[in-house]
Amino acid sequence: MSDLVLHIALFVVAGTLIVMAPLLIGRLVRPSLPTPEKDAVYECGEPTIGSSFIQFDLRFYTVALLFIVFDVEVAFFFPWATLYGGSMQLADTQLSAEARAEVSSKLLNAAPGYPEGISAESALQLGQLAFFDILVFFGVLLVGFAYVWKRGDLEWIRAASNSSAARANPPPASPRANQSVATKPDPELVS
Amino acid sequence: MHPLLAATEFEWAPLLLGVLHVALVGAFFGLPAGIFIWAERKVSARIQDRLGPTRTGGRFGWLQSAADGAKLIQKEDLAPKAADQFLFKLAPYIVVVASFSAFMFLPFADGWAAVDSDVGLFMMLAMLSLEVIGVILAGWSSASKWALFGAIREAAQMVSYEIPMAICSLVPIVLLGTLNLNEIVQIQAGDWQGGFPPMFNWMIFHPVAGPAFICYFVCATASCKRAPFDLAEAESELVAGFLTEYSGMRWSFFFLAEYASMYAVSGIAAILFLGGWDDGLGIHSWLKNLGWGGALAANLFGAVVLMKKASVLVFLQIWVRWTLPRLRIDQVMTTCLKYLIPIACTLFLAAVVYPLILVSATGRPMILPLEATGERVGHPSANDRIWHGAEAETASLSEGDE
Repeated sequence: MSDLVLHIALFVVAGTLIVMAPLLIGRLVRPSLPTPEKDAVYECGEPTIGSSFIQFDLRFYTVALLFIVFDVEVAFFFPWATLYGGSMQLADTQLSAEARAEVSSKLLNAAPGYPEGISAESALQLGQLAFFDILVFFGVLLVGFAYVWKRGDLEWIRAASNSSAARANPPPASPRANQSVATKPDPELVS
Repeated sequence: MHPLLAATEFEWAPLLLGVLHVALVGAFFGLPAGIFIWAERKVSARIQDRLGPTRTGGRFGWLQSAADGAKLIQKEDLAPKAADQFLFKLAPYIVVVASFSAFMFLPFADGWAAVDSDVGLFMMLAMLSLEVIGVILAGWSSASKWALFGAIREAAQMVSYEIPMAICSLVPIVLLGTLNLNEIVQIQAGDWQGGFPPMFNWMIFHPVAGPAFICYFVCATASCKRAPFDLAEAESELVAGFLTEYSGMRWSFFFLAEYASMYAVSGIAAILFLGGWDDGLGIHSWLKNLGWGGALAANLFGAVVLMKKASVLVFLQIWVRWTLPRLRIDQVMTTCLKYLIPIACTLFLAAVVYPLILVSATGRPMILPLEATGERVGHPSANDRIWHGAEAETASLSEGDE
């Protein structure tokens, strides 16, 4: 078992105890007098109407999809950033020899004090390569983001009646085209 | 000893060390949360002219929080009949465990982290973002419409704000080239350079990382669901949002987690942008070189400095909460999707281009004639350990082969 796994296990156990201990102590001192009113779901004092497991607005799914795409890409940025940052530090022509050896060994995950450090020129080349890599990678992401923006999926308040039309093709620029369709906020769920 | 026996033998030392870490981190998880709840009352009273909190609770009002605890523990533990009982009870555990586990990676001083990981920042952000699962579970399992609305809003808000938050925290990583939180601070620390205090090594004084700090802080406030982004609770619209059906102690755990994660994100901000435990005037490195006991004194001093910095940021969050009114959900989402994400992406690209252009033009990745970030490389402690660990493993493997 590695150090990290051991710590995660211990922290999960300790976090559980932090919650459980007061609840167990509380069991000794708190009353338990359930009534049908107490056990009911709160709906401003009225009897509840229907189930609360209802369908909610589709806009939330759009946000979730956007999040998945973005967050998966951002997760890949982290290892890239360490490499790029290291190569930019090595590209410094005035870096001392021991610092160069230190940063090089860290970048290559080699033994500390890696004897021959990466030279400034090759570090700059590495940096340029990494730069064009991320430019392509990030560019794809940004094109997708721009597409979603243009399609109007980032608009939180949309007209309800023309929303299907707006999803099929971008909303028309001229205000006259919109006048034919009544514009009102989504009545389904304003939340 | 036979290698097979050595492998099966249980090692107590790492376990005991882990338990010690948990106890120490637990103290720095619970204590600040309690202090910030007290501070929230006091600050709100001062800002909004509330009369109660400036008067009750004995000297400095310390009794009020204790009285609250005593009250909460006696409250009846209610769960609606229609609720999904198991998930309803599971939710506070997930929230507390997630925010507590994030502290595993936070270095309170040089080397004083429970786990000194080379992917510390990444893991810490990942742990913090698990909290949203507990919030969604709480809202969904309550079987209440208010709770469901609050939870879904919260989910949308938290996942949206996570994107610019992660991109902004990448900005110092691009400039420093490490994800190890300990090394990030070591690189930012330094000595006086020709009249410049070491403070100017901090990322906040970097022309790109400085704006990223502001962007990060806005997103961090939102991801802790603090006002003006507290749409999940929004008591004027949703009764209490995802907390509607919770009561007593179970309810209070969500707040414990909220204050703890406020402290955690402020700690990340202090480490990434404000130089962590480095005081900025060279006192820390002076103490460290003092000889016997100097390293310990420097670490104690550094821990105080880091906690001060994080506390100032938490105070800022409290200040914002009691000053600004709550935004509407469409404003919250527009702020993130149409402003903060483009700003964060621009800052990220700027952080990538900035050193490349400078290196190509001048041969150095900085403008000020300060010590290069490469010179201030952190101790290769984690790297060292990995290397020697791998060496030890291969050694034991070859032994086993014999």
